[in-house]
Amino acid sequence: MGRKLVKQPLFTIVYLSFVLMIVAPIVYTIGTAFFSEKIGVELTQAFQGRTIFLLLKSSLIAAIIAFFSTIIGTFLGFLLYKTKIPFQGFFKVSLLIPLLISPYIFAVAWKDIFLFFFRDSTILPSYLTCILVMIIVFSPLAMLITGSAFMHINKQFEESALMVTSFRKMILKVILPLIKPSLISSFVLIFIFSISEFSVPALFGVKVFTTEIFTQFSAFYNHSMAILQSLLLILICVFLLYAERKHLADLPFLSIGSKGSSSKIYVLKKGEFFSLSFLFLWLSVSMIFPVTILFIQSFKNGVGAFIQAFDLMMPTFIDSIALSFVAALLIVFVGFVAAFSASNKPDLRMGKSFNYLLLFVFAVPSTILGISLIKFYNQPGLEMIYTTYAIILIAFVGKFSFIAAKIIGDALKGYPKSLDEAARIAGATFSIRIRKILIPMILPVLFLAFMVAFIFSLGDLGTSIMLYPPGTELMPIKVFTIMANAPQDLINSMTLIVFLTTLILIIGLYMIAKLMIRKYNCAYD
Amino acid sequence: MIELKNIYHSYGSEAVLTDLSLQLEAQKIHCLLGSSGSGKTTILRLIAGLEVPQKGMVSNGGITLTGDAEILIPADRRKIGFVFQDLALWPHLSVYKNIAFGLEEQKADRIKEKVFEILHHFDLEEFAGKYPHQLSGGQQQLVAIARSLVLKPDVLLMDEPLANLDVKLKRKMLAHIKKLKQDFNLTMIYVTHDHREAFSIADRVIVLNDGRIEAMGSLDEIKKSENEFVKYFLEY
Amino acid sequence: MTSISCHKQSNEVVVYTSVDQLFSEPILKAFERESGIKVRAIYDTEETKSTGVLNRLLAEKENPQCDVFWSGDPMRVIVLKNEDISAPFHSDIADDISQVYKDADGYWIGFSARARVLIYNKKVLNEVDVPQSIFDLSNEKYKGNFAIANPLFGTTTFHFAALFSSLGNEKAKQFLADLKNNDVVIATSNGDVKKRVMNGEIACGLTDTDDAFEAMKESDEVGMLFLDQKGMGSLIMPNTVSLIANAPHIANAKRLMNYILSKETEAKLAVSCAQMPLHKGVKTPEGISSLDHIVPMEIDYDRSSIKLEEIQKYLKEWVEN
Repeated sequence: MGRKLVKQPLFTIVYLSFVLMIVAPIVYTIGTAFFSEKIGVELTQAFQGRTIFLLLKSSLIAAIIAFFSTIIGTFLGFLLYKTKIPFQGFFKVSLLIPLLISPYIFAVAWKDIFLFFFRDSTILPSYLTCILVMIIVFSPLAMLITGSAFMHINKQFEESALMVTSFRKMILKVILPLIKPSLISSFVLIFIFSISEFSVPALFGVKVFTTEIFTQFSAFYNHSMAILQSLLLILICVFLLYAERKHLADLPFLSIGSKGSSSKIYVLKKGEFFSLSFLFLWLSVSMIFPVTILFIQSFKNGVGAFIQAFDLMMPTFIDSIALSFVAALLIVFVGFVAAFSASNKPDLRMGKSFNYLLLFVFAVPSTILGISLIKFYNQPGLEMIYTTYAIILIAFVGKFSFIAAKIIGDALKGYPKSLDEAARIAGATFSIRIRKILIPMILPVLFLAFMVAFIFSLGDLGTSIMLYPPGTELMPIKVFTIMANAPQDLINSMTLIVFLTTLILIIGLYMIAKLMIRKYNCAYD
Repeated sequence: MIELKNIYHSYGSEAVLTDLSLQLEAQKIHCLLGSSGSGKTTILRLIAGLEVPQKGMVSNGGITLTGDAEILIPADRRKIGFVFQDLALWPHLSVYKNIAFGLEEQKADRIKEKVFEILHHFDLEEFAGKYPHQLSGGQQQLVAIARSLVLKPDVLLMDEPLANLDVKLKRKMLAHIKKLKQDFNLTMIYVTHDHREAFSIADRVIVLNDGRIEAMGSLDEIKKSENEFVKYFLEY
Repeated sequence: MTSISCHKQSNEVVVYTSVDQLFSEPILKAFERESGIKVRAIYDTEETKSTGVLNRLLAEKENPQCDVFWSGDPMRVIVLKNEDISAPFHSDIADDISQVYKDADGYWIGFSARARVLIYNKKVLNEVDVPQSIFDLSNEKYKGNFAIANPLFGTTTFHFAALFSSLGNEKAKQFLADLKNNDVVIATSNGDVKKRVMNGEIACGLTDTDDAFEAMKESDEVGMLFLDQKGMGSLIMPNTVSLIANAPHIANAKRLMNYILSKETEAKLAVSCAQMPLHKGVKTPEGISSLDHIVPMEIDYDRSSIKLEEIQKYLKEWVEN
């Protein structure tokens, strides 16, 4: 094993860095919880029936959200990436918008919409409202993940099915099974996001397990209890990943043809009206209504609030964008190394374990991650890390690398090894094969992973609020610190500015990526 | 008889077939011969119903399959089998399920009977439970052919099916393929860029160049053709 | 990218504050301008949006980065005292502030107070029907039509702790049970209470004076009332400043604390967020309440903080059931 590690220096460095810089502090913090004076009492309380029931209830809610988000996201992904539907480009960008707005603010917007139309923000039962809002928030993530998978199906698989069966059956029996890894990834990611979310359920008065953990931190300042309860959450998430691994382990998913990822595009005839109607309906629900209400409330007293909001937000732009950009690059890098090692070096056990470690850190609540990193890095001699944005970069890499590894890993599953082997036989070194064969082939997926990492880093609050250096300002933190007692129009203006900034950046990144990917277009035709 | 009439087809701004007309007699093996980019695969895909020509008509036995830039009869109802160049065996389905895929409308025991009948024909029964990646190249080839024949099509289209096989296996497979016409009463359209392959199985050969038919006829007629391109093509 | 490198320079001070950034930031910037000392601040969100600066202070205990903690209430600062995170500090500037608003050992000093008030929607509730006492909220005519913020967090916790301290456990528990029977709406925060009253979703709710004044600035339909002015009085909640033990910039910390504790700061906070000066003789704008005209609840802040720790488990069960 030691010799294998030496032969894989890059993997070893990344793996050990991740373990030492991120995992070790968390494990240490969790470990110290077991040495608290009241450990006996706390263990009993943490694992009592009521808590377990709450955890199961929260898991059920999260599973419902993940299930429906995946279904809707997959349908949207199919329409936007596999069919020739009008205004495709517009829909692809605008349907991402819920991802660019904080779930809490999105939920508040929907409450205001109910109030506006029905004079009653509680017109729907609170559980239903909470679930519906979260589905709208997370469906774009499913759309991105499955859309990417749709684009990489070898069209000959579809065409050979179309020779013998109908379009509908081909989708059910060929396309959906081929994108199974992406469907499951989407479900797992959204499940973990949903079960970790507490501000949206709190807004609707829905008690979830994470509220327990949050209460222990923020009301009782009982860190050891909060940590013990978090362990339950982490266990559920790890179990989910283990189940996924087991289920997918032996199934071959060669989906990218040797000619590259040529995707078949369908022209809907009878279904076009229905599809367009659904897209517009979903757009209304996920973008038009919430953004309109934000606009109305921002400008109800003129442009003064918007100008004030812009003045407040301006100092945060450069730092936030630059930090998120660098974080996204690092996240994609770590995610790539983890995904590649798991797919390419199955004999290297550490490759598999890397993905479990990424999941473990992803599942750890933001506050525990924050506290762990504070205790580890707040030491004399480590000021260069702790008092700078470096600490936030470390936190983001820890928090979001799992997502990148998942997205990239799914693409690598369908990547024909023969392409790499041909290059090896031709004498290309490992680094050349990666740079000139693999990366160009999966460039769209790398860009997708980058974009998702960028969006999440730019919008993060839970982790960064624990760690941001005094005297610095980041966009989402500014919105929420000002929100505490600001007028409604100011809050909504700030939210609009964050959302518009993110949208402009995403469009810009998308256009740059298109130019880059065009160079390798032959791989995708 | 399969007929293509005044076909114009392009991919984007690049025209692949310009005013091409072609008649293919039933129960014969027709080879579309030409170099890469000559339009051979496009013709196959138009017949299969996987592409729609911008202009022209495709018919079979007098029935219009595609016309006025519209697919009138979809691919799965044309009674056409297609063996793809990459074989396109679904990796997540076993050999049995790959072959049984198009038989779903039928009763389970009928499906089993038909699948094993075709497996028996190709001597593949023992591989029924295996997955494509567990088979050799030649075995995968046979499974792809078996899959396309289980529904008893009238026409079999084959797009360079032997491109990835070694010479010995190729010879063996060509013998198999030639027998298919009799065994299954097929009209076969076989695409290749290798004239030796074409001459070993074809009843008629159509030589294509840049989307145009350079020559068409029996093997003798082609060998004796005065067409410069054909002469040049056959030399190599 | 802006890079903040290691700064143990003498000419700066680090402050963590749970006071709303809209109000605290101008004070800190003014100090920075006037003193030439660079202020590096960490601000907080509302209680239920994130886990707050206090958790950060607890985590940084072994190697404090913060010099001064400016809190919006005297409640959580006891946690710092118990954990030896804060250090005693005496300020001459605060000598004329009543001892009631200071920690006996000097671990925190109070200034610029808010009060717990009732806000109500004038369109939903007639003037004659407005509750005059907190106990009126258990009256059936307000059933399901009034709100409080989650009592596990923020100033509502302190309000309930003060009630328990003042009324005794039995009476306080009975009162809470009456509220539950009267279908009290539990909002996520004081800001949420404010919003619901402004929208007319509920008739009235308990919140703090700064939220109330913001609501009244935004909408003519909102009114405010100090409850129990003929009874036990309204809870007064001073801001507090605490010196952090082993602060990296002690001298600058003390300068900042004195600045925050000054009459000028109180005057500014009176204007910006209607906070009531605790110094004598500070001019307040018209329309802003003054402590001279309010009957305050008589409590011991330290005892209330201790009471808070005792009742937390009960409050959690009360919220959940």
